[in-house]
Amino acid sequence: MNYIENIYICLAAPLILAIICLRREGRRALLFLLAGMTVCLLSAYVNTFLAGAAGADLIEASHEISPVVEEILKFLPMLFFILVFEPEKKVAITGFLLVAVGFATFENVCFITYYGTSDLLRLIIRGFGTGAMHVVCGMIIAVGLFYLWNKIWLQIVGAFALLCFVIIFHAVFNIFVNQSGVVFWIGSVIPMTLVLLYMVFFRKRIS
Amino acid sequence: MIESIENALQIGALIICAVVSLYPTITRKSREWMILFFFYGSFLLGDIYWLVCLIFFGDTPKISVVSDLSWYAMYIFLYMLLIQTAPPVKTSRLRALPWLGPIFSVAMAVFFILRGEILSNIIYASLMGLLLFSVICRFIDWKIYKNQIFLSIMILVFCLLEYGLWTASCFWTSDTLTNPYYWFDFLLTVSAAIFLPATKKAVEE
Repeated sequence: MNYIENIYICLAAPLILAIICLRREGRRALLFLLAGMTVCLLSAYVNTFLAGAAGADLIEASHEISPVVEEILKFLPMLFFILVFEPEKKVAITGFLLVAVGFATFENVCFITYYGTSDLLRLIIRGFGTGAMHVVCGMIIAVGLFYLWNKIWLQIVGAFALLCFVIIFHAVFNIFVNQSGVVFWIGSVIPMTLVLLYMVFFRKRIS
Repeated sequence: MIESIENALQIGALIICAVVSLYPTITRKSREWMILFFFYGSFLLGDIYWLVCLIFFGDTPKISVVSDLSWYAMYIFLYMLLIQTAPPVKTSRLRALPWLGPIFSVAMAVFFILRGEILSNIIYASLMGLLLFSVICRFIDWKIYKNQIFLSIMILVFCLLEYGLWTASCFWTSDTLTNPYYWFDFLLTVSAAIFLPATKKAVEE
């Protein structure tokens, strides 16, 4: 039995203390990280419920249910932040990134408590692969939302389209990393490569 | 077997198209090309998802929501491309002719709902109706949308081929090349590739 809410409390406690102590950018960054971890916890509950309701097993749920739930829940705190605080582009894009990082961190912690820490190489690949995948998904939505469209109605429709895009990307990634051998490697390396390509070709434009 | 081969060929063609559309996205920092890249990306990821499900699980996905989402995104990106490449002129006149598109989509949706799911068919009909409406508007105001005519023709062809594909899948299920489903899917790949010159024409004129 894996009590993920206990893990969540252990990870969130120091973050909450730091959020109380810090000010401005530091506080905001940690709030985004905490939001990412919180939606990861929530998505675990929602995934379990929907998988039970649809009669899906673990493998089916991992590529047919969890990508939809996780990407939508990951988007919600940023949607709230954008609608309520109307932040600058840079702040919002950083927010998307940090929510994704918080989500990936909590997911990885849950993964190692469930599967153990003996296979270091697999954990390294898994850690970087999952982290990169969540970051890529967050960046696609952020960049698309802030750089592709300038009218509000186009942003709303475009956000939905981008959400669909990252869900299918996430689903394909989940199928690949649930396999063994070379398929697992390919699945993990693709998002890492995309992050590198993004750094090389697009970073200048965003910064 | 033939489905997997046909899917793999389509994936290969779409990878090439995505890479080609990514080049002007990076070099010219063009929004239009980036939207086209996302269109190819959605199409490609939907195909890959379908193919890997067939390869690793031996069956199509049990819950088709994820693959449907990729097709929804694909049509939305096409519509966005049409909006993004349009000249900044407003035509406010309401005409009857463009409504033929949504009427056709609704009629087809009723046909498909009688054979399958309700919600996904309603969403497909809405998106297709919107695309067909916009395309017919551009044909009527062809003097204003001169740069978009090629793109509009290709979108119309793409939509009609999709309908042909869906209709064929209702009547033919054989896994051989005599199945019209594969002909439509092949033509769909070709028409998707022609979006590259069509977008180039729409952007550059």
